[in-house]
Amino acid sequence: MTSLETPDTETVTGTWRRLRGLARGAGVVPALTALRTAVCPEALPCGPAGHALVPEDIAETFDHGWADGSGAPRAADREDRLTEIAVSGGVLVALRRRDEAPVDVHRAPVRAWTLGLAWVRLGLSEQMLDTCMTYLRGRVTGAGTLLNQQMVKGSLAEVAIEHLEIETMMDGALPGDLDIAATVHLHAQITRADRMLLRLLGAYGFLADGPGQVAWVSELLADVYVGPPAEGGPR
Amino acid sequence: MIELDDRTRAIQRRAREWARELKPLALELDGDPDAIYRHLDVAIVSYLTRMPVPPRHNPDPVVIDGHRFYGTGTLERVVFAEEVAVGDAGMLLAAPGPVMSGVLVDSLGDERQKEWFYSRILQRPTWTFFALTEPARGSDAGAMETTLAPDGDGYVLNGRKRYIGNAARADIGVVFARTRPGPLGVTAVLAETSDPGFTAEPLETIGLRGLRITNVTLDRVRISAGNVLGQHLRPTQRGMWSAVQGLNRLRPGVAAFGLGIARSAYEYVRENRPGLPLRDRERLDDLGRRITGVRQLIWRAALAVDAARPSAGYEASAAKAKASRLAEDATMEALGFFGAGARLEHPLLDKLARDARAVEFMEGTGNIQKLNLFTGLLQGRLHRG
Repeated sequence: MTSLETPDTETVTGTWRRLRGLARGAGVVPALTALRTAVCPEALPCGPAGHALVPEDIAETFDHGWADGSGAPRAADREDRLTEIAVSGGVLVALRRRDEAPVDVHRAPVRAWTLGLAWVRLGLSEQMLDTCMTYLRGRVTGAGTLLNQQMVKGSLAEVAIEHLEIETMMDGALPGDLDIAATVHLHAQITRADRMLLRLLGAYGFLADGPGQVAWVSELLADVYVGPPAEGGPR
Repeated sequence: MIELDDRTRAIQRRAREWARELKPLALELDGDPDAIYRHLDVAIVSYLTRMPVPPRHNPDPVVIDGHRFYGTGTLERVVFAEEVAVGDAGMLLAAPGPVMSGVLVDSLGDERQKEWFYSRILQRPTWTFFALTEPARGSDAGAMETTLAPDGDGYVLNGRKRYIGNAARADIGVVFARTRPGPLGVTAVLAETSDPGFTAEPLETIGLRGLRITNVTLDRVRISAGNVLGQHLRPTQRGMWSAVQGLNRLRPGVAAFGLGIARSAYEYVRENRPGLPLRDRERLDDLGRRITGVRQLIWRAALAVDAARPSAGYEASAAKAKASRLAEDATMEALGFFGAGARLEHPLLDKLARDARAVEFMEGTGNIQKLNLFTGLLQGRLHRG
């Protein structure tokens, strides 16, 4: 552990804000890299079921996998490279480590990762909101822009409300302050906000690059590291 | 509750059988949209290739259990589309056939144009396209910028279209363009993609990659006078009026894609997560009830279209708005039954979740549908019992 090893609110808040700002301004690759540096030791961060979705250099650099707070050596014959996704600023690699013991998602290091990831995803969602506003301001309908249509204004306001609530819930939270169910809920809330934005972008939000991809990658990160509750609740 | 008659049940049964062939091909097409060229002999693709072609132009309809099918009825199309989309919505949209252009040619074409169009369709598998949406103004027809200008004994087409399905594969299609300012200044023409000045550039998408949406550029494309649609009709029945009528007929079909995607996700959970705990089973059962409800709404809209009820367009909007949200919700909820890493371990479910996002904007976004529905409500034209 680095800066979050002996966390105090000020350090943690500064870290989270930096992650969020990186995600919003520079995208998912630098934000994930910074999250790994802040939360995870010199290892590949893996989710509860042994998957990882990380920038290519992280996938290739470390010889240990990190899941529930402890590292385990990686072995090529027990690892599958599932897919690569070219994103703005780099390439993300999805991996599966086989035969990993189930992760205890309640352990503090895991909770730091999932909370930090929520900040990253909030930053990505804010980036989508910025993109959406710019895009809708440039779309003309009748005598005005799409941005000034009442239904559109209402939808954007709803997203802003979600962002405010998510931010307030997480603001000042140390790893472990929010239980896993609350973190799962926050991730789901971010996904819903992203989907609201996508509905305003029409076909533009369905293109393989741009905001449509940001939303998909963000959902994929939540799927890998937080995962929807299985069998009725978080494991 | 609406119940299907024997004839429609026959096409439903057959489509369900055919759709089973599609599931194993779904991820292949998602990875490589050109896979459609390898699967033109799949029964359902072969059926779609010739649907809809009206009886007058189709001497060889598909006969199922003694019933003849031309693909022209809206109810039979939505029932069919749901089943195919359960197999793979991508394949449904990747298949050659008249699709949207066929609906326009049917309502706007004169006899010679119909003969020309349908003979091309029946000759060999032929992709078609329908070019309405533009880069700056979407489907706002009042602001359409593509122009159709007189040039010698014909016309010349200039402009850009965006998000046009299948245009890079197509031979022929319909393009909307402006001949003069005002709502009656929009005209539809038949265009051939081999004509000089026509280019279609595929766009990569998050899902429904089989559809292969494209950017279309029209740079002085020559259109013969005989390819202008609707000249034998009153000016009010050409152009945008026809587009709106056509979209009313097609919208329940898009809703049915969404329904099929939702049902596919629902059935995936049922097949792959047996023995769910009671709480999860109830959640899944509730999803099943939502699917049943939306299906009824779609059938209602389809019947309204087939009966040419004045409320048809509004009911179609209601069905489409509800089905697109159902598709998103059902696919996301289905992933929730499989725990962390579900999208990577169940690529078909991930594909369904990606595909579902397209239903939202096809034939108009949810907001457009709600605004249309509100117009019907305000003007007392929404049939409410």
